[in-house]
Amino acid sequence: MASDDVRVRILRLDATAQAISTGVLAGLGIFVATNWLVLKGGPVVGPNLALLAQFCPGYSVTFGGSLIGFAYGFVYGGAAGYAVSWIYNRFVQTRRG
Amino acid sequence: MSLPHTPSTPRRFVVVGAGPAGLTAAYELAQAGEPPVVLEKGAMVGGLARTESYRGFHFDMGGHRFFTKVPEVDAFWRTVLGDEFLRRPRLSRIYYEGRFFDYPLRPTNALAGLGAWQSVLVGLSYLRWQIAPYRQEDTFEQWVTNRFGRRLFRTFFKSYTEKVWGVSCSELKAEWAAQRIKDLSLWTAVRSMFLRPQHTIKTLIEEFDYPRLGPGMMWNAVRAEVVRLGGSVETDHEVVAIERDGNRVTRIVTRGASTNGTPRTHAGTDFISSMPITELVARLEPPAPDAVRAAARQLSHRAFVTVCLIVDQPDLFPDNWIYIHDPAVQVGRIQNFKNWSPAMVPDATKTSLGLEYFCNQGDPLWNMPDDELVALARKEIAHVGLARPEDVVDGCVVRVADAYPVYDSSYREHLDVVRAYVDGLANLQTIGRNGLHRYNNQDHAMVTGMLAVKNALHGEHHDLWSVNTDQEYHEEIREPAVDALEDALARAFGKLDRTGFGLAVGAVVGMLIFLATLVLVLRGGPVVGPHLALLSQYFPGYRVTLGGSVIGLAYGCVAGFVMGWTFALVRNATTFVSAVALRRNADTGPFSRFLDSI
Repeated sequence: MASDDVRVRILRLDATAQAISTGVLAGLGIFVATNWLVLKGGPVVGPNLALLAQFCPGYSVTFGGSLIGFAYGFVYGGAAGYAVSWIYNRFVQTRRG
Repeated sequence: MSLPHTPSTPRRFVVVGAGPAGLTAAYELAQAGEPPVVLEKGAMVGGLARTESYRGFHFDMGGHRFFTKVPEVDAFWRTVLGDEFLRRPRLSRIYYEGRFFDYPLRPTNALAGLGAWQSVLVGLSYLRWQIAPYRQEDTFEQWVTNRFGRRLFRTFFKSYTEKVWGVSCSELKAEWAAQRIKDLSLWTAVRSMFLRPQHTIKTLIEEFDYPRLGPGMMWNAVRAEVVRLGGSVETDHEVVAIERDGNRVTRIVTRGASTNGTPRTHAGTDFISSMPITELVARLEPPAPDAVRAAARQLSHRAFVTVCLIVDQPDLFPDNWIYIHDPAVQVGRIQNFKNWSPAMVPDATKTSLGLEYFCNQGDPLWNMPDDELVALARKEIAHVGLARPEDVVDGCVVRVADAYPVYDSSYREHLDVVRAYVDGLANLQTIGRNGLHRYNNQDHAMVTGMLAVKNALHGEHHDLWSVNTDQEYHEEIREPAVDALEDALARAFGKLDRTGFGLAVGAVVGMLIFLATLVLVLRGGPVVGPHLALLSQYFPGYRVTLGGSVIGLAYGCVAGFVMGWTFALVRNATTFVSAVALRRNADTGPFSRFLDSI
């Protein structure tokens, strides 16, 4: 197969863009999930989601907590997205030359 | 290969073959003040690009579009023929199972012709071969299947290719396909959806240049110019011996009708040959080593017979040529010469056709009497529905030997042996399609002639065997914006590497589970991570412990790999479907606007 075929056919990921998009998605996910439970209300609000605090110190199922959760989600999601892109690009580079 | 120039030695060039390569070399030599002797076996010049005539009708042997990416060749053509070129529209189709398909293939037209069910099967077949292609592309069948899928290969490539070559596609080397249809891929098709010819790429898909009286007009003009400059072009001179002294050729002996069979010798200091390299080796005296002669005998050529029909109809069909894939008839391609140039036909009320039958020299088709061949052609033109047999008023037959060098499974090995020996002959260079046993088109054959002259006259060291091996064979003129647009499209429609994406996602998921488990273990407490421990329902053996974190890492890697690999697969398939949908929209867009114009 011609090298030109490889150049045009195999996608390289933009790690920064991937990190931002994954981070925003994860952050929004936590933000929406938290506020959804806040708006529903009840005697104990979101006891299971509150377990996120074990990984995200300061997080709680409150409106303020949703902002903190967005920040954590953005950071964790961004790191995961960046890592996936970085590993993928290294693999493709090694495999395809 | 070129003769070391000694000023005291007058040079005398002898060129064997008056086809495009040989005559180009002769022309360049004559222009440089070294008019050569040109020896041609046939009765007319032009070789495979000659124009035959019969009762005022002109017949092009094979159909030669004049298009090149080599500026020197283009300048050569313009200089020689000037205003005699016509710009002609191109239309070519494929005839298969009673239907005509546009060629080059257009997805919508091809799918419409195949029908809904066949189209689905074609799409599935394409996807199947994209997912799991042949790992090695040794044969033509593997090469095409990897790019188009098995079903399209069978429909549009197999039968015609086997007619042309007379061997199974599983025996034909992939190299031929790679050289002839390089860069022809579904990716190219997708790219072409966005690059409209009128805006960005001018291609031979749309139109081409053609001499008013066929390609022979070009080579007759070149012959006249060579003679005007002091050279000579001797037709009916078949080479019967190439005499050498060690590694230097000294004389060429010819025989032919023009000398009533009496041998003639042609001494020279420099020799350029476009005769088939197989024959060249066979005619060396003293003979070449046995191993070289044996290797040369293993190289073969495909021939064809053109049956020229004169039909008493002013217009039969709009195509320049039609590929006949249908295995029910023997004809492989049909030329409509009037559509190449109206001047090819002396009587506007008639049409001249060329039915091309691919064969081997000496086989039954080659040996069939002319009248039987004309009868066969009359029958087959009626079978495909292009003309009525009673309208065929006359016909003639032209046999073209050594038309296509055959790339069989062992040709490379044998050619290397022959090449090594011929390269050792100090004052001989071989050029052209048959001189190099390479499937070059007219323009690349001409380039070998030009470079051979540069080697001989200026001591340059061009490798003639590499012409058209490292040059892209695109029938395109690229414009500056194309590269930038290609890059953008590559990013938009590029494929994700499934394995790479699977590994990346697997590594990250595994690491996430590993770290999450460790965090909870380190935090401790009466019950450690009861919720995360639920993962054991999917990952048997997993626990929120130090050891469990490693098990979780392994599970995460595997599960993540499967997710990533599957995502990439679906994403690649979706991208392909999107591209096909875009093409469909592009095709139907103008039609929808047509309603606004009523």
